[in-house]
Amino acid sequence: MIEITDSEICLVELIKRARRDDAGAVVTFLGTVRDDEDCGLEHLEVEAFREAALAELEVIRQEAMSRFALKAAEVVHRTGSLAVGESIVAIVCSAGHREEAFSGCRYIIEQLKRRAPLWKKEISEKGERWVGGA
Amino acid sequence: MRVKVIAFAGFREILGKERELDVKEAATVKELLQVLAAGSPRFREEAFEESGAVRDYVLLMVNRKRIDPQQDLSRALVDGDELAVFPPLAGG
Repeated sequence: MIEITDSEICLVELIKRARRDDAGAVVTFLGTVRDDEDCGLEHLEVEAFREAALAELEVIRQEAMSRFALKAAEVVHRTGSLAVGESIVAIVCSAGHREEAFSGCRYIIEQLKRRAPLWKKEISEKGERWVGGA
Repeated sequence: MRVKVIAFAGFREILGKERELDVKEAATVKELLQVLAAGSPRFREEAFEESGAVRDYVLLMVNRKRIDPQQDLSRALVDGDELAVFPPLAGG
């Protein structure tokens, strides 16, 4: 299941959804708001092109399911205002064995960063800046 | 004809989230970007090189499908098309 939400991510709920009787491994990835070298980050604003991001994430999820024989893959990305330490993205993959579950989880986060229309703005003591963009 | 423009991140702050524009029949993607630049010096500065070329980091979708900024700027739009304008992606 794919979600883009303004609400806090509940990892335990995602793990529950990804569990399968025929899965021997559940791998989770949590991306969190980082204050690089104490640069005084106050919060992060996360923005999505919601419809396009949901569609792209579903394509990525399906690719991971078939490439790595996953039993389930759950992806949740936050939008809105996030404090340092909060979760931005959670990915949970279950598979028969750990190797496929790790590979599937890694594939999804790498492709999400490359392909999903999502943006982050850092608001710090020094001002505001869009990460990697205009 | 009428087209919709939606913008995200830094470009949303310049252009606003969404607007509809009347443009000439079969206007191209680049012509639409030029119309936006004519109405916003800041957008012109952020999206175009001095030479008039569209900057490399400007990403575009037409009807939610990514287009190649090097090859598809001459693509003709049709009535009701939606152009999305945004900077490089930074999710996760």
